[in-house]
Amino acid sequence: MRKLLRGELYRLLHKKSLYICFGVLIAAYSLLAFIRSGGFGEESVVSDAINFFNFLPALVGGFLFSAIYTDDLNSKNLIVLVGYGIRKTKIVVAKFILLLLSGGLVFGLMPLLHAAVYAALGCAATPGQLGMVYIVAYKYLLLTMAYATLSGIVAYGLQRTTFAIVAYILLAFNIVGGLVAAAGNMLLINLQPHLLSGVTDRIIVAMAGGGFPVLPVIEYAAYILVAAVLSAVVFHKKEMEF
Amino acid sequence: MTKVTLQTHALTKKYGETAALSAVSLTVCEGDIYGLVGRNGAGKTTLFKCIVGLAKPGGGSVEIEGEGKNLHAARRRMGFMINPSFFPYLNAKENLDYLCRVKGIATKSEVERLLRLVGLDGVKKPFKAFSLGMKQRLGIAGALLGSPSIVVLDEPINGLDPQGIIDMRAVIRDTHRQTGATFIISSHMLAELDLVATQFGFIERGVLVKEISHTDLHEHTKKSLIIAVNDTEKARTLLCAQGIENITVHEKHLVLDAHLDRSHEIARALINGDVEIYDLHRQETTLEEYFIRLTGGACHA
Repeated sequence: MRKLLRGELYRLLHKKSLYICFGVLIAAYSLLAFIRSGGFGEESVVSDAINFFNFLPALVGGFLFSAIYTDDLNSKNLIVLVGYGIRKTKIVVAKFILLLLSGGLVFGLMPLLHAAVYAALGCAATPGQLGMVYIVAYKYLLLTMAYATLSGIVAYGLQRTTFAIVAYILLAFNIVGGLVAAAGNMLLINLQPHLLSGVTDRIIVAMAGGGFPVLPVIEYAAYILVAAVLSAVVFHKKEMEF
Repeated sequence: MTKVTLQTHALTKKYGETAALSAVSLTVCEGDIYGLVGRNGAGKTTLFKCIVGLAKPGGGSVEIEGEGKNLHAARRRMGFMINPSFFPYLNAKENLDYLCRVKGIATKSEVERLLRLVGLDGVKKPFKAFSLGMKQRLGIAGALLGSPSIVVLDEPINGLDPQGIIDMRAVIRDTHRQTGATFIISSHMLAELDLVATQFGFIERGVLVKEISHTDLHEHTKKSLIIAVNDTEKARTLLCAQGIENITVHEKHLVLDAHLDRSHEIARALINGDVEIYDLHRQETTLEEYFIRLTGGACHA
């Protein structure tokens, strides 16, 4: 597992488009902040983080999902890994850990970038506000991880890049969530609090209040666990595509 | 006694109603260069997929270096190439460096050695810009990484130009000589495999029709002199008196596997001995003819 992670980290760090993507993201972010800088208020640093970070699961998460999961499909690297005798379950777990590491790094740095850009534009964050920005980033990290793990079922099950990316997009733009919520409404069941967006909202609300959200964390963990188990199951069932 | 390094026992694989492999029992001995020959779609790649664990057989089993249960561990001692699979944005060295990390190979010099071996040292462009031949070369390098004891190569000369084919042959021979690794190479080009393989397996429609050594194969395909005469016994006696041995008699024909350059002498001796010659010609079964005869039989089976 450690060897696989070392290899995967090496690969990601040598992916030039990763640097281009984050360079463009930082530039665009700075530009947006600059445009916004005329109307800064006391809470802008937090409210803008909520607005801007909303796009991170689709933009940053989409890139991470593509780099970690679908690059293997494009390059047929899963064939190499499985042929080398690495168990499919290990691959699923390693990919999740890689997602956690890279997502943790990106979403851990985003609040610092946000605070630095806003400080440079004359809107320095207080420690409390920075904490809130981190909680917001944490919510989107959780969403990104869940979307990627769920899309992993499609990636491993169908082994088709296009389907996997479409699945991620449908989740990241809350289309799947919206459809499920609408179906629940038709049956007069309020599913919203138990959907990923609702669960993560409940987690950050509880965290912002200083509490530990036991039930939402269990619900979230169930999403991840079920998605990971299903990924491993479909991966085992699906013959490697050439 | 030669040690068996890889075996399949009645390996069967079906796709829907089509049997891709039918009870394939293949035996590869340590140090062999095993050439798996078959037409396109004969089942070569499917067999390789089952061996390296990319497809689950419907029946039968695979045994690698005596290990039939923990194949995951056994497969780590194998290198393989079934379609060169690399990250398009990494160059040759980076792709091999990635594999080194995944396989836990510490030596950096291994990557440089292999890139030199396949003629890709100093190539900086990414894999996506490689020609088909370069991709094949990198695929071979990837398969040889870490000096595996068994190397499985599926159609390694596909897409290579004549010089590339010669180079590839040299790479396989050199590596085999230096490391003593067992190679299993598939191809539909028998003549090409004939230049490197020590053992052959012929597969047709998922059936392993025959396994044969290089020596035995050439025994079946060697040139011979066919002489049709009125009296085979008299002819044989006459020729033996001339010092010509190893004569086989088939009905009204004498078959000589040697002395092909003495046909005029043979003819004169027979005529002088009052033997009537109806026909005298050289016969050669080419490797391709042998293959067609073999697989044609399977087609009708």
